[in-house]
Amino acid sequence: MIRIGIPRALLYYEYYPVWKRFFEELGAEVVVSPPTTQDMMVSGSSRVVADTCLPVKVFLGHVLYLVGKCDYIFIPAIRSVKSKVYNCSKFLGLPDMTNAVIPESPPILDMDVDVNKGKRKLYQAIYQLGRHFTWNPFKVRQASLAAWQAHLNYHELMSSHNLTPPQAIEIISGIPEAEANSSYLSSTRATIAIIGHPYLLYDEHINHRFISRLEQAHNRVLTPEMLSAEELQLATARLVGRAYWTYEEEVVGAGGHYLQNGVDGIIGIMAFGCGPDSLMMDMVRRQASRLKTTPFMSLTLEEHTAEAGIVTRLEAFLDMIYRKRRIQAESCR
Amino acid sequence: MQVTFPHMGYIYVGIAAMAKWLNVGVVVPPPTSQRTLSLGVKYSPEMVCLPFKLSLGNMIEALESGADTIIMPGGLYGCRFGYYHKAQEAILRELGYDFEMVSQELGIMHMVKRITRGTPLREVITGLRFGLTKMNVLHELEQMVHKKRAVERDRGEVSRIHRDGTKAIENAADHQELKRVRQEYLQTLKNLPTVSPPIPLKIGITGEFFIAIDPFANMDMDVELGRLGAEVCRPLSVGEWIRFTPVPIILGLREKDRSHKAAMPYLSRNVFGDGWQSVGEKVLHARDWDGLVHVEPFGCLPETMARNIMPSIKDGLPVLNLIFDEHTAKAGVINRLEAFVDMLRKKKRRQVKVCV
Repeated sequence: MIRIGIPRALLYYEYYPVWKRFFEELGAEVVVSPPTTQDMMVSGSSRVVADTCLPVKVFLGHVLYLVGKCDYIFIPAIRSVKSKVYNCSKFLGLPDMTNAVIPESPPILDMDVDVNKGKRKLYQAIYQLGRHFTWNPFKVRQASLAAWQAHLNYHELMSSHNLTPPQAIEIISGIPEAEANSSYLSSTRATIAIIGHPYLLYDEHINHRFISRLEQAHNRVLTPEMLSAEELQLATARLVGRAYWTYEEEVVGAGGHYLQNGVDGIIGIMAFGCGPDSLMMDMVRRQASRLKTTPFMSLTLEEHTAEAGIVTRLEAFLDMIYRKRRIQAESCR
Repeated sequence: MQVTFPHMGYIYVGIAAMAKWLNVGVVVPPPTSQRTLSLGVKYSPEMVCLPFKLSLGNMIEALESGADTIIMPGGLYGCRFGYYHKAQEAILRELGYDFEMVSQELGIMHMVKRITRGTPLREVITGLRFGLTKMNVLHELEQMVHKKRAVERDRGEVSRIHRDGTKAIENAADHQELKRVRQEYLQTLKNLPTVSPPIPLKIGITGEFFIAIDPFANMDMDVELGRLGAEVCRPLSVGEWIRFTPVPIILGLREKDRSHKAAMPYLSRNVFGDGWQSVGEKVLHARDWDGLVHVEPFGCLPETMARNIMPSIKDGLPVLNLIFDEHTAKAGVINRLEAFVDMLRKKKRRQVKVCV
């Protein structure tokens, strides 16, 4: 059986159920790298120039982990998934870059996903990918339909049950859900929305368990995945007009939505050197300072970010929100 | 209506010429200076790239001197450049300026129509042609200057002629005068007394477009290289960029297409910006150039990709990477260039000896 390696980084959180389903339908085994460790981050960083962004370094660390543990590594070049909205350069050249900086990696299965080139090209790309496993186009078609269904189910699950991607992936993979979800809801002190890309929000190593820290402090955490596509689109249109990069709705759409929907505070998480976020997070910040209703904090992560720094800033931010709530409650009385 | 636009190399010459031809009021922003940079840095997001900061500074200075319409290209994909106009508009509005931002997001024709307001299309095209011709003449002059600066006998002579020539091209009122100016300056350069350096070097400049061609942003890098006795080859220039020559485009003979083809084995997709070309340049000119200076603003997305891929090209050119931001100092750039040129000379001398 052919083993396909999928790094648990970057677009894993967005598309893992699709990829897994597609490859399993075609009779391959999927190997996923474990959650990020310090070793992975260090080995990934050592391969690229210093100012490459953190998520890409982490991604390469995962690829390095998978070397020798699988027959192929699946690294698609997701160019665009919406008409006239393209992805950041780092995603566009990801397979080529991996090939250049990790020459010892197993053969890379790459495919171009570009809806702007038309359906024909997209279907061709999918068939090309399927050709590694079967010659039968109908089988590939069946697998891709099943995969698409898995994708829809996955997103439906997240937005209807207010789940984060790792939780949803656990449910889909059949691992019994930990009951952490309901225990804290009874006594929430504040509702905090976190905006940012899933590969930063849910990678507990690079963000130093940010979400669980918030939850342990009895806060309700909202993430971009809990919003439906329409809500994201609406808020994006309100804030910046048309989205310019593919995955920026997670930042600017979610930010715009939560700014006007009565959460107690918003925390933006971005990686140092992220091009799209450097402009988009700033747009959210500007909107926040214009509205003056919801406190907003932006945190920048890189491989040198220390846990103590994150904790201090988080505590200060939460203290400020608790105090604001207390004063509001007292003045109401 | 007073139209303005941010600086990028000598592009102001072309745009001012078009505007004058079409009777559109134009405000050329004051030359980029330390003040421009400080203004840009002050109001820009912290981590955005240098061209954003410089062009924002230009816009502020132009609005201060009475402009009310800003032309900013946009809508190019992938790289942040395509989004500049929106972010800059938001920033400038927040600063309280009243203006109109015109970008090509809705198509180039839309942009042209909005600026020219009812001028017949035929006239618009002749105006555009005049501006483009000026850019092409500037490009020719620049190429000659790069060639001659490496071998000039009297230091600074070529730079002086370049300066005068640019001024003369800027002041040329019609095609005939432009032709005369072109002849005159190319001839002067040709007849300049020269000395031949012991080991002639050819160094290419590639990388991010803005940094490569803007003399303020790249700290007059081409002048410094010329002073060190190296002939500069810079395929990136506004003249090259806008030159419309159908036959080479169809046959794929343009520098851009050739470099993309050369980059194929290493980078098989467009990463937008100029990343693809940067990678290709290293392969394409491995025989005819001696070295390559790769420039980029700090945090540039496509060029970071290019810089990651470049080391895997084993038989390409030696490359010097220079990263620019608002803290880059000229002394640092010159130091690195000197060391790079020394290294290339040494290498070449050894090669020559082996051949003999």
